[in-house]
Amino acid sequence: MNATIQEIEGIDDYWGPAFRSVYEGEGHEAFVQQLDDRIKQHDKEIEKLCNFHYQGFIDSIRELLQVRSHAEELHAEISNVDANVKETTEALCIRADELIRARRVELNIAATIEKMELCLPLLTTYSKLKSQVEAKRYYPALKTLEQLEHVLLPRVGPYKWCAQISSDIPRLRQAIRDASMADLRDFLENIRRLSPQVGAMALKQTQDMMGRSLANIISKKDKSQGLTASDGPQCPHELVDFSPLHRCLHIHTVLGAKNDFIQYYRSQRRQQARLVLIPSSGNLHDSIQGIRNYLHAVLGFFILEEHLLTAGAGLVSKDWLLDTWGMSVTKVASTLRTNTSLVTDPNLMLKIKDQIMLFINTLKCYGLPTDPLPLLLQEMAEHYTEVLMQRWVGVFRDILDNGSFLPIEVQNQEEYDSVMDKFPYDGEELETQPFPRKFPFSSLVTSVYVQVKEFIYAWLMYSAGLGLGGERRAGAARHSASLLLSRSFAGCLSALFRRPLPLVQLVQIIVDTQYLEDATVCLYEFISNITGSELVTTQAAGSMFQAARDDAEQQICDKLEKKVDEFLDLENYDWLLVEPIGQASSFVTDMLSYLSGVLTSLEQLPERARVAAVRAATNRIATRLRALLLDPAVKQISSGALYQLDLDVIQCEQFAAGEPVPGLREGELLEHFASLRQLLDLITGWDWSSYLHDVGIDGGKYTLVTPKDAATLLEKLKEAEQKSSVFSVLKKNERDRRKLLDTVLKQLKQLQNQDS
Amino acid sequence: MAKTYDCLFKLLLIGDSGVGKTSILFRFSEDAFNISFISTIGIDFKIRTIDLDGKKVKLQIWDTAGQERFRTITTAYYRGSMGIMLVYDVTNEKSFENIKNWIRNIEENASADVEKMILGNKCDLDSQRQVSKERGEQLAIEYQIKFVETSAKDSLNVEYAFYTLARDIKAKMEKKQKEASNPSGGRSGVHKPTLNDARKPVTWLSRCSVL
Repeated sequence: MNATIQEIEGIDDYWGPAFRSVYEGEGHEAFVQQLDDRIKQHDKEIEKLCNFHYQGFIDSIRELLQVRSHAEELHAEISNVDANVKETTEALCIRADELIRARRVELNIAATIEKMELCLPLLTTYSKLKSQVEAKRYYPALKTLEQLEHVLLPRVGPYKWCAQISSDIPRLRQAIRDASMADLRDFLENIRRLSPQVGAMALKQTQDMMGRSLANIISKKDKSQGLTASDGPQCPHELVDFSPLHRCLHIHTVLGAKNDFIQYYRSQRRQQARLVLIPSSGNLHDSIQGIRNYLHAVLGFFILEEHLLTAGAGLVSKDWLLDTWGMSVTKVASTLRTNTSLVTDPNLMLKIKDQIMLFINTLKCYGLPTDPLPLLLQEMAEHYTEVLMQRWVGVFRDILDNGSFLPIEVQNQEEYDSVMDKFPYDGEELETQPFPRKFPFSSLVTSVYVQVKEFIYAWLMYSAGLGLGGERRAGAARHSASLLLSRSFAGCLSALFRRPLPLVQLVQIIVDTQYLEDATVCLYEFISNITGSELVTTQAAGSMFQAARDDAEQQICDKLEKKVDEFLDLENYDWLLVEPIGQASSFVTDMLSYLSGVLTSLEQLPERARVAAVRAATNRIATRLRALLLDPAVKQISSGALYQLDLDVIQCEQFAAGEPVPGLREGELLEHFASLRQLLDLITGWDWSSYLHDVGIDGGKYTLVTPKDAATLLEKLKEAEQKSSVFSVLKKNERDRRKLLDTVLKQLKQLQNQDS
Repeated sequence: MAKTYDCLFKLLLIGDSGVGKTSILFRFSEDAFNISFISTIGIDFKIRTIDLDGKKVKLQIWDTAGQERFRTITTAYYRGSMGIMLVYDVTNEKSFENIKNWIRNIEENASADVEKMILGNKCDLDSQRQVSKERGEQLAIEYQIKFVETSAKDSLNVEYAFYTLARDIKAKMEKKQKEASNPSGGRSGVHKPTLNDARKPVTWLSRCSVL
């Protein structure tokens, strides 16, 4: 049992087996007893122990109580100190905090300044850039931009504004490019405006240069000594400020777009060239100013290009210039051609020609080929001749319209001399005559001669300075002058003849043309003198106005015939006249005296023309009289009427035989009356046997009388006789006569039938 | 054969050079006017047929040169004329004064019974007028001749003048014809004119009497 207690005592836990053994044994009381004993034992031991330690315990408690009070004291003290400390350090802590903050700020500031210093050049550069752009100094601006982009920006950190600036750079670059382009456009506009002035100045210089002679230069020098040299531009191209262009070129070079730029420039200029080539004022033929402006503009344009070519820089290449010029000069030539072809004012033509000459010379100075232009001048020369002729047609028409066509009569030496001054007339005979002297020609001759000279002067004005040789000029002048006379003047003459002109005036015109023709040699001499070439007389002037003269002569003939007709229309034959009045009809005598009067007034006419006139008149008379006799409307003719007509014809024959004008073949005019005479002779002579015998035989007395005509007339006679003798008894010889008449008529009819 | 006219009257225009004789004639025959002056040389004529009381009358009008140097040629035509127009220029005093000389010329050269008329031409040029219409009238009354102012340029009174003259000639002719048909008229008749008298109006009268 003890064991178990020991065990329980020995083992702090795991008391199970012990309790089990107790539980299973019998000795429970014993055991509880033991346990009680044990407990009493332990209680005794504890009591002993407690007695032993009691004093110490009380002391300790006492001491502890003491400590407790001390601790309390200490606690108070410490609390106090703590409060004190707390109170005193509070301000300090605040200051310390402030200090810390200030230090931090200081550090921050330093860092910022450092950074800022790095940024500063960037910003100044940027602002410089801005101001450069603003001041349109694009080239430096571009340089600055470059620096900004490649040097300054990388140095500065990745700030937002930096990014902004970098993003701004291409925009700026584009802006500069655009602005420089705008400058270029301004420049282009500017030179378009200025190029006429440039051209004008260049032309002026060429003109001065051409007009330069020693005397000229000296006199100019004298003049300019007093004056200071003009400070205006010396060369035409100095009128234009090329710097925008060069700047622009630089800028594009920097931008690496030089070629693009050159291309752009060229295409722009080519477009401008096209504009320049279209005359701004529409009609150039209105005034010289239009042409002048046009040429100035064209010339100015190419002078500037040429200057750019010589100035280098590759903006303009020789090929390009020549190519553009080639295109332009053709256009210029065609524009001028169309416009000048409409000009009708010779003075304007001259001015245009001078202007073109000057243009050509200036082109030569600038080394530009002139090619189609000289040809144009030649074409214009032809047109000029036409224009002049047109003008002189007007002059001639005036002269002819106002001409009196009467021989010039002079009253005194002064007047005589003034005519002789105007016209080369070999007046030896006239010289000795007393005043008033009478020239054989009318004032038409002098006026026309003077006008032809004027024409030659005007004509030569065009060829002046064209660089033609004297011989060629003279030849062409001769050609034009004779063309003027033979075409324009002769044309005016023909037109004049269409007007009803009095005969005598017609005659005077014929005479006048002769004098004019003879004077052509003098005109050629005149041409030779003023062109300084040798006299050429090979060209026959001869029949320049022959056509006109023929016209006039024809007109004279027509007129005479018309007058003859008018007289014959007054004819008033009484076809049943019993007895002729014994004298010629009044219209015949009137007519013949009128004709002889007219023919004497034709004295001055060349013989040929007078002969033609008188032939025409006599032929007309004969034809009309014969027609009268055979007129089918006249049914009967009495022998009295026949004798009257015969008498009239005899009057006419006398007139014809009297050689009214010289130069006729003997009896020539009478031939016109021959057939009428034979007819009349046959009828009045009653010579039928001879007629019928000789029919068909050459050389007969009545060869010109056809059986038909003879029969016609005989019928009429028969009608008249029948009428007059209706109521009277026929005498024997009258019966015979009637019988014979019938026989002859029968024979004649037979002959007619044979013929047909 | 049908005649184209019933009567033929020969008229004559006389007056100083430049008074417009040719223009008057030109106006009457062509109804036109030409401003330019071309002096007539010698003599010329125009023919116009007019209708007078149903009769076709042919007027052969002789236009003479006014210039002195043609005087011999022109006076030869006085004799055959049945009517004479004396023309002066109202802007030319001298031409008016010369009318008297022209009348004397007529008296010396023309047949005694010739009809006359005075024309004051260029009456359109009123601003340059030198001879008043009244003086023209005065002169005409003095000589017992009809008078009218004309303008060839404006075609004023030209027709009237010729018609009047023609009508007067016709009246005179009919009067003579009446006398001739009346045996007591005394004249030997129209069928036997004397040789030297061939151009006298009598011959023409005879023509008319046929119709």
